[in-house]
Amino acid sequence: MPRSLRPLLAALLLPLLTTLALPTSAAELRVYTYSSFVSDWGPGPALKQAFEQQCFCTLEFVSAEDGVSLLNRLRIEGANTRADLMLGLDDALTDIARSEALVQPHGLSLPPLRPELQWNDPAFVPYDFGYFAFVYNRESVTRPARSLKELIDSDARIIYQDPRTSTPGQGLLLWVKAVYGEQSEAAWQRLASHTLTVTKGWWEAYSLFLQGDADYVLSYSTSPAYHSVTEQDERYRTALFSEGHIAQIEVAAISRYSQQPELARDFMRYLLTPEAQAIIATRNWMLPVIEGVTLPEAFDHLIQPRRIGFSPAEIARQRPAWIREWRRAASR
Amino acid sequence: MAPRRLPLASPLRPGLLLAGGLALAGSLGVTLLAFAGLIGFSASGPDWRLLQDPYFYQVLRFSLWQALLSSLLAVLPAWPIARALYYLPRLPARRAFLGLCLLYFVMPTLILITGLVALLGHAGLLSPLISHFTGSAWNLYGLGGIVLAHLLLNLPLAVRLLYLQLQAIPASSWQLARQLKLGPRQRLRLIEWPALKGRLWMLLGLVFILCFNSFAIVLALGGGPQSTTLEVAIYQALKYDFNPAEALTLAWAQLLIAGGLFLLVMRRGGSHWLSPDTDTRPPLPRPAPAARLGFQLLYYGSWLLLLLPLGALLPALVRRGLPRVGASELLLPTLLSLALALAAALAATALAYLVLQPLRAARRRGQSGRALLLEWLATHQLVTPAMVLSVGLFILLLPHPGLLRWGLLWVALLNALLVLPFAVQQLKPRLLQFDQQYAPLVTQLKLGGLARWRVEWPFMRPVLAASFALALVLALGDVAIFAIFGDPARPTLPWLIYGYASSYRIAEASLASLLLLLLCALGLWGIGRLQRPAPLAPPAASAHPPPTSGDAPHA
Repeated sequence: MPRSLRPLLAALLLPLLTTLALPTSAAELRVYTYSSFVSDWGPGPALKQAFEQQCFCTLEFVSAEDGVSLLNRLRIEGANTRADLMLGLDDALTDIARSEALVQPHGLSLPPLRPELQWNDPAFVPYDFGYFAFVYNRESVTRPARSLKELIDSDARIIYQDPRTSTPGQGLLLWVKAVYGEQSEAAWQRLASHTLTVTKGWWEAYSLFLQGDADYVLSYSTSPAYHSVTEQDERYRTALFSEGHIAQIEVAAISRYSQQPELARDFMRYLLTPEAQAIIATRNWMLPVIEGVTLPEAFDHLIQPRRIGFSPAEIARQRPAWIREWRRAASR
Repeated sequence: MAPRRLPLASPLRPGLLLAGGLALAGSLGVTLLAFAGLIGFSASGPDWRLLQDPYFYQVLRFSLWQALLSSLLAVLPAWPIARALYYLPRLPARRAFLGLCLLYFVMPTLILITGLVALLGHAGLLSPLISHFTGSAWNLYGLGGIVLAHLLLNLPLAVRLLYLQLQAIPASSWQLARQLKLGPRQRLRLIEWPALKGRLWMLLGLVFILCFNSFAIVLALGGGPQSTTLEVAIYQALKYDFNPAEALTLAWAQLLIAGGLFLLVMRRGGSHWLSPDTDTRPPLPRPAPAARLGFQLLYYGSWLLLLLPLGALLPALVRRGLPRVGASELLLPTLLSLALALAAALAATALAYLVLQPLRAARRRGQSGRALLLEWLATHQLVTPAMVLSVGLFILLLPHPGLLRWGLLWVALLNALLVLPFAVQQLKPRLLQFDQQYAPLVTQLKLGGLARWRVEWPFMRPVLAASFALALVLALGDVAIFAIFGDPARPTLPWLIYGYASSYRIAEASLASLLLLLLCALGLWGIGRLQRPAPLAPPAASAHPPPTSGDAPHA
């Protein structure tokens, strides 16, 4: 055979040989997550590619519709689950997952996390976070509300998400409770009088808002960065509320029934590297959990809210009652 | 009409009867398993505390109220429209109109939802016009949108059914009316009303049940917790609160109300809205010029009403620029949808034929109470919440990943079960008609096995084919089952539309909707062709108009 053909042949044969060899040599890490995380524009594919290069393993994503469905799926599967790692529960759900014994302690020593997270949990590792905030178009809303109370007392047309079916909706539930306490039911009724629609999920609400019919939509403090970076559109802003904002911290944890706990730990460590944090921040449009991550300039212009809220344990205890209160008030 | 006891009760082939019993038990078994899955998971059983929560009554009130409003608004206007069709047989495109009516009933609700959003949504074609006239901002989402969508889905069904019922008025009645010189009012009271009365109540009941169980429309156009039906509340209780106990309470409430009502409706006979237009024209009295004009206006108005939401799909497509949806992006979902619907339709038709066997046997023995119960059981999926069926089964299967890997198989099976009631309603009258006309002969000739099938086959063939096509078109629109068992990475066409529509990508949604609509229209065209009396059919079948009551042919 001519010498020059040999590299070509090797190039053709090598991938074939590696695929044949794979099932015996490579371990498989199965990560349960929500679907937008693994979509083409989400952080999933980039993380998979980068991690597989260093772990000599295959990373398989199994996706549920969203964080809440993810938890439900794990609860139904119980000990029969094939999950090694779960990615995408948030701090409001951690206590439920723990009390149903779905996770195990990670045993890692984490790099320093951003102080506002106040993180101290043996099983869950945060990988991004954001503040719930109301997004508006500054061309149509020239004097944005400066507090939640001002917004609820106004007659601005508002879109938000069902707290039973989406995490931003649940964020608003906590927000109203934190600001209004015992008076929440009346606040919900006032809000209902100028609510355009309550949608099932975040994407429905946000795309409806972009059609231009509402004044405010409930989203994240990071949403303007998305418009600025990917669309060079500077019209969208978030309102900073004087009462403070509720944060959402997204977390990962090792399944109690994991077949690959070691590999799962490696992946968690990787999630907290500056490289992975930059991928997550610019594809999931949330804030990094460690300092010193290089991000597009648009992230510097975001609002810096004061964080308020409840502990995961309190949320787990009160959530059913708060949901009942909301649905009573909002369905009237 | 009470079923006559046959002079020569011929026993069915025991093998077939056994298979029928098994099929019925299997279809009931799946439902029971689904309930067992939910009950097993909640351990504590239904959550009766819900009965003290005002929310439950709010949901119940809204379910009943919107169903009542929807059924009245769909059925009452259908009456004059059906009369217009009946009295003015020379209306242009009358047949096309009846075809459109049928298309409306079987087409996936997502198409209508997309059309309505394109027409009347926040950026809809007509929305600025409406806001201009009413002076306030128009909002499609809420009770108004729900009732409008229900009206559009059910009005055509009602028009078609009432029209066919009017056509069944014997020519002799009109001759008598002429001899007695009855005026328009008397004709209405003495001839038309008695012919329609029973059917009108049945129709109201049926539409009420369909709207009461409505899911996709309420979810898409409800716009918040004020407009929640029981079916949507079950979905929410399961999907997010993950509260099977609450879902069970809601499911029992739904089953009790819809199931009870369904039993009442069934006692008045089945529906035969698919029967082809027979084109037999009795000498009808000519309507007065004023009435004529009214009928014409109604007719053209109905055309407009039905065409607008579908027509709105086209400008939505063009106005926002042709969407960047490659053919490949649509091709695979289309093929997958077709394959799933085909499997579901085959299974549903075979099951329908089988589950009717015990019913047939009961009818032959003249046990009408037993027959009614068997029919209720054979069609119970019409009132069982689809959410309970799919989620209950999902919970049962989830711990066995091997079983779940066949997700698409479950999608096809559950869809087959959900369209089964429609296939049963299609096959039942023809099968009973066969028994009425041929059973004595078959018994006398001692035909068995294949020979017997050779007699039955040509008689049943057109109806079997039509119910297959109907099941195919109905299964083509499924999203509820796919949402639970399907793989979002390999979507079906309706799932794709759902994705586009829920992110308000109306142009893409319109394109996919038009494609799906085309498939449904093809399916319907198939039904129409298949239903023409087959050349092989015995003379008795083609000489008489198809039976319009579920009991027995009008011999």
